[in-house]
Amino acid sequence: MSAAEGAPAPVRSAASAPPQAFTLPPAARRWGRVPDRWIARLSAAPAVLFLLALFLFPLLWAVVLSFSTYSATRNQPLEWVWFANYVDVLTSPQVWERAVITLVFVVGAVGLQTVVGFSIAFLLARRRRGRGALTILLLLPMMLSPVVIGAFWKLMLDAQFGVVNQIVRAFGGESILWLTQPRLALLSLIVVDSWQWTPFIMVIALAGLTAVPRYLFEAAEIDRASEWFKFRHITLPLVWPLLLIAVLFRAIDAFRLFDLVYVLTGGGPGSSTETLSYHLYKVAFQNSDTAVASAYGILMVIVVTLATQVYVRYLTKVQAR
Amino acid sequence: MLDTVRRARLLWLLAVAVLVLAGCGGGGDDEGGEDAEPAAEEGTDAADDGGGDDAAADEGGEPVELSIIWFEWPPAQLLEDFANQEYSKVNPNVTIRVDAVPNPQWHDAIFTQFAARQTDFDIAILDSQWIGEAVEGGHVLDMTEFAAEAINPDDYPPNLLSAYGQYPRSPDGLYDPDGKLYGLPVLADSYVLIYRKDLIGDPPETWDEMIEKARTCQEENEGMYGLAFHGAGGSDEAAVMLNTVIWVHGGEIWDPETYQVEGVINSPENVAAVEKLENEMLPLTPPGFAGTAFIPEVNAAMAQSQTCMGLNWVAGLEGIQTPEQSGALGSTEEEILEKLGFARVPVQETDIVSLGGMGMSVSAYTEHEQEVLDFIAWFQQPDVQKAWAEFGGVPARTDALNSDEFLNARPWNAAFVESVDKLKDFWNMPEYYRLLDIHNSQANALMSGTQGAKETLDNIAREQQAIMDEIREGGL
Repeated sequence: MSAAEGAPAPVRSAASAPPQAFTLPPAARRWGRVPDRWIARLSAAPAVLFLLALFLFPLLWAVVLSFSTYSATRNQPLEWVWFANYVDVLTSPQVWERAVITLVFVVGAVGLQTVVGFSIAFLLARRRRGRGALTILLLLPMMLSPVVIGAFWKLMLDAQFGVVNQIVRAFGGESILWLTQPRLALLSLIVVDSWQWTPFIMVIALAGLTAVPRYLFEAAEIDRASEWFKFRHITLPLVWPLLLIAVLFRAIDAFRLFDLVYVLTGGGPGSSTETLSYHLYKVAFQNSDTAVASAYGILMVIVVTLATQVYVRYLTKVQAR
Repeated sequence: MLDTVRRARLLWLLAVAVLVLAGCGGGGDDEGGEDAEPAAEEGTDAADDGGGDDAAADEGGEPVELSIIWFEWPPAQLLEDFANQEYSKVNPNVTIRVDAVPNPQWHDAIFTQFAARQTDFDIAILDSQWIGEAVEGGHVLDMTEFAAEAINPDDYPPNLLSAYGQYPRSPDGLYDPDGKLYGLPVLADSYVLIYRKDLIGDPPETWDEMIEKARTCQEENEGMYGLAFHGAGGSDEAAVMLNTVIWVHGGEIWDPETYQVEGVINSPENVAAVEKLENEMLPLTPPGFAGTAFIPEVNAAMAQSQTCMGLNWVAGLEGIQTPEQSGALGSTEEEILEKLGFARVPVQETDIVSLGGMGMSVSAYTEHEQEVLDFIAWFQQPDVQKAWAEFGGVPARTDALNSDEFLNARPWNAAFVESVDKLKDFWNMPEYYRLLDIHNSQANALMSGTQGAKETLDNIAREQQAIMDEIREGGL
């Protein structure tokens, strides 16, 4: 059979049918003279304008202010000091102290959330009955406001009448000063933040775990592979990229922690739980040093952006493997 | 067909345009509503002219609501109730609303609106140390000329009038007749000692005696602790307690003439006084208490029979005498007051007591300036101040403070009056919050047992001196 003979019949019938004038739909007729590129631009314009007005302009405005002596509440003449505010922030021992506190918090909280969240997800993935109900139940803390969580954990961790110390005392222990001892206060912050955000890691890890093809495990079972081998060489490599994305989101969120600190510890005792965001709030709104606060904020954005870039490159490498 | 569709669309667009224009017309009505505001002001002026008093009744005028911003504590609701009950008799067109925000947000709630140069409040109740920040920003009205007509400065204790309204404040902390006024008192306040009459007997007269009695009481009453006092972080809770200890022992926190902190606050005498706080007073508080305590915590410790003595602000005591709060001490007010006593803060090297309280300042962005000034002038009248005292408020006029109405109104008022002349405040300058942040954080670390007395005072001296040096370079 020749190629011409094998051609599809509808083409032949269309060729034999009388030609009909193609009519454009009404919308295409109205915009017919406008090139596709411009239609695309016009369609994106509202979103772009929205973004420019609410994100880019404030950001650029903050950059401009960071080079000045501007204060939102003081009626003082504006002077341009260029990078002096940046130097002040970067050479401030208070800022470095808060940076260390924030780093400890980020590593502690995200580390704990990742380990516990992945463990719960691993257990849930092996269970079929009631998995949905259990998942919803475990997701509840994530749906609460951090302010509400801070308020009730503050009551629960109260040294005098808190339910946590009541339990400790019921087992013969001494009252623990959860919120008034520096290390314990930071640990309390990590635990409370983990209580809220472990479900986030869990749900992403669960999505990854349930997506691992079963035939890989079946093949491993045929080869009599151990549980550890299956976990180490099948489960973890396939879930790892997804887990890294969850860790990235959590790390960025933990880096800018404010609300929980504000409600739970107020940055205390002393300044032992004062994160960078909380310190920035004090500089901006209590001390009214708007220009210094702008420089502080810009530096925080730069740090997060650089860290994210490095992280994303690593993530890309992992996904490429 | 296509033309019909086009015509229908055109008609639809016209209908939308008419609706939009009608909406704009509604805006016009709103503008008319705004236009009505000056009419309301004129109405108040007319009432003034007609009444002859500072604020006279004008039932025909437009209703005006004056908004006051304060923080959430008993006097806030008391002021709203009192003003609406009493001022409505004089000016029925004006209602008063007190917006009470949580204490840690009090400063932010006011100054973020000042930063926007637009306020939803007419009167700002500023903590006495914030006046400088508000004045330097041009956010509150200069009330000097108004005060010259509305009040006689001799009617007030000079330290209170200065603290609640003057900027810059004179170095001696007393009223300066040549200075400017940016606020008039709304509520006077100071620390007082609350003590258990049934456990302590007579109140201690000296600081050392207070510690000794607290120690004995703690030893003799199992499950109870000797002392309760403020030490929380967040605002000025721990800082005021630290100042009290330093001042009572004859020290200073800075030199207002030279802006010197280093060597002043961390002098050997101050270190010894604060070591007394660290080693003798903190062990007498319930575990973990001092680092988180403010007004409600100290009240609760006394009301629940947890501590033998406590130091608290007078204006924050409202309710502690009632069975609702102190049911553990008795079922009637009489029973409770047989156990609870109130005395002035014990003396040591000096008889200085920390000053609390605050004044009313007028927002520079208010649309009701005349009505606000009428209200403030009314509030400062002698009979109104006595009525305020009787209602449960703490007045700042000397005659009202010494009146039977005030002295009999609450069981702690006599103790407050004893210390009025000795009240002392700290810095009132635009850099207040920068200084306070250091002061309170370090004091809170001390109260929490995180660091010792010398380290605390050395840290404060070093960090505050850097700010004071900046101020000195900037214009001293």
